[in-house]
Amino acid sequence: MTGQLWAVIIASFLASTVEFVEAFTIVLVIGVTINWRSSLAGMGLAVVALAVIVGIFGTALVKFVPIETLRLVVGILLVLFGLKWLKKAILRYAGLKALHDEEAIYEEQVAELKARGEHHQARIDPFGVATSFKSVLLEGLEVAFIVITFGAQANVAGSTSASGRGILLATVGAAAALLLVVGAGALVRAPLQRVPENMLKFVVGIMLTSFGTFWGAEGIAGEDFWWHGDLALPLLVVFYLVVAGLLILWLRPYAPKKAASTAGQMTAQPHGEVAR
Amino acid sequence: MNRITRAVKATYNFFAGDMILLVAVALAFGLGGLLAGALHAPALLVGVVLIGLIVGGLVTTLAREVRGRPRN
Repeated sequence: MTGQLWAVIIASFLASTVEFVEAFTIVLVIGVTINWRSSLAGMGLAVVALAVIVGIFGTALVKFVPIETLRLVVGILLVLFGLKWLKKAILRYAGLKALHDEEAIYEEQVAELKARGEHHQARIDPFGVATSFKSVLLEGLEVAFIVITFGAQANVAGSTSASGRGILLATVGAAAALLLVVGAGALVRAPLQRVPENMLKFVVGIMLTSFGTFWGAEGIAGEDFWWHGDLALPLLVVFYLVVAGLLILWLRPYAPKKAASTAGQMTAQPHGEVAR
Repeated sequence: MNRITRAVKATYNFFAGDMILLVAVALAFGLGGLLAGALHAPALLVGVVLIGLIVGGLVTTLAREVRGRPRN
């Protein structure tokens, strides 16, 4: 295989990895904090929607789908969802709201169902489905754009070796990226289940707000808005973490004394798959 | 009418559930869009306004939660 063919595969692989990591992060955290059923349902719906969109538009997709408008809408919704979760998690850590023992409620529900001879099935949560759906749809479309752009460019470049096969090669790169990200996700899933529930919700709040700010800003000001592109995302995460940490410190003195003592027990219960 | 009101309320609760956060996010993206699109402001200014309003909304809604509570 020539250097140009490898270049198409590697470029598509690297760019798609970034997009898949972004989408998979949200699928993973929704799966761990809400339940896998909702997370995978959202992901499945997004995959079907993507297949329909790509099936209808084919390579003309880049002309018809307003990706910046989509980024803006998804960004605004993620910021709203993220802030809602972050507010609750901050109030819990500050001791102003009781730590929610959903694990105990879940165990109780399962025991009750078992006692009645019924099988437990995690309830589909609209919030989880919607969040997972939006992220996978947006990132999936971005991957489709990457594959079409890189593939078409290789075709236009006119190399006899790449000619006509550009999109196929770019698809191979993107598929390899998907396998890598899903494999890595499967490895981190089990350790994530043991993280305390409020800490996970806190992290989800930070992630959704960061992703939302990142995509929303690209939606209003274009793809080259952020300094060093995707590298701005971890900086946003760190920024929101620092802000949230400072807010917890600010709020702690207002907590009732009893609640304040329980707020410090961040390592309380390990978290399992719970119905919200 | 009652059904419509309930649907609007359910939609609001699903997407926001907090008027301060909703207004702050709407302001952040509205003003950010205006600065970037109509006024062609530098990216740094747009970023500061956007993130500043998002953080401002969070601080305001948390401040409302502790209003009237004594400090320990």
